[in-house]
Amino acid sequence: MDKYSLYVSNFLPCKEYFVPELNQACPGCGLALAIRQTYKALGMSIEKGAWASAEHGKAGAAGSGHFGTGATDVTFLTIPKARGKLVICCDNEAGGSLADLLEKPMPQLAASQGFNYVATACPSYPFDLYDKMKRAFKSTADAYVHVLCPCPPGWKFDADFTVKLGRLAVESRAFPLYEAGAGAYGLTVKTGKPRPLADYLKAQGRFEKLSEGEMAEAQASVDRAYKHLEGLIQQYLDAVA
Amino acid sequence: MESTAGFQKKMISCSLLDQGRGTPFRPGDAREWTPEWDKDKCIRCGLCFVYCPDGAVFRNEEGYFEADTDRCKGCGICHRECWFGAISMFKEE
Repeated sequence: MDKYSLYVSNFLPCKEYFVPELNQACPGCGLALAIRQTYKALGMSIEKGAWASAEHGKAGAAGSGHFGTGATDVTFLTIPKARGKLVICCDNEAGGSLADLLEKPMPQLAASQGFNYVATACPSYPFDLYDKMKRAFKSTADAYVHVLCPCPPGWKFDADFTVKLGRLAVESRAFPLYEAGAGAYGLTVKTGKPRPLADYLKAQGRFEKLSEGEMAEAQASVDRAYKHLEGLIQQYLDAVA
Repeated sequence: MESTAGFQKKMISCSLLDQGRGTPFRPGDAREWTPEWDKDKCIRCGLCFVYCPDGAVFRNEEGYFEADTDRCKGCGICHRECWFGAISMFKEE
């Protein structure tokens, strides 16, 4: 199977659930890509509400109540399923500072709030996202998936770099992909030798005025957060063993 | 859609119910660049289809991929992500 893994995209369902009239996203929108892949995984048609809440991120965030989102605006899609609900947080880091970008407490908050399945995903890794959405939809209680959506006008990069930027975020460990619950626990994309965070930050126009000192601070913060996450995973594995 | 001819019948330009749009909207209307597939280089892996944010790329009868010009916004992600450089972007006149 490894030999043919390049062709795995041919096994995805071909049906498109987009209604073109409702798709008013910018060219190269990471949010549109995430929503398309999500609904493909769930096999549902995209209702008008999905686009409405995508356009009014702030209202969606306020409506969902019990999360502290910090300074960033995020979009929540709440999809009812057989048991409980599936909450998808589409995070395009709008209006966030560098500190908000590097520390994402929401998945861990959700895990402590009694969500049965918690995961982070990125549309640059479509099959990873696809599997996680399916697992979240099948889980026995509420599920939460945090999706990083690169935003070309917000982050100030060219529209064709959307997928590349998501990949940089994961490879530089700024946004590690992991899951917890439904029989799986741990990192899903392993970054053996991480890229320097500067690669990720310098690709974006919004951080062009960042000084070297701030860059080093950010790198230290990312390393700390990653070590914390690895510690959590190790703790869990020790408890199970 | 008989949109442009039906000005007197429909008054589309004055519609307030249609989310503030003056004209009927298709995602591909404002496109600047259009992708083109080179069949000699294409191995039909389908990555362009997976990474298209607007669901514009589809498979034709021969098994090769094409972009739906009504939906494609010309972002260039397929061109950037193709492993084999089979997709080039050209400018429509």
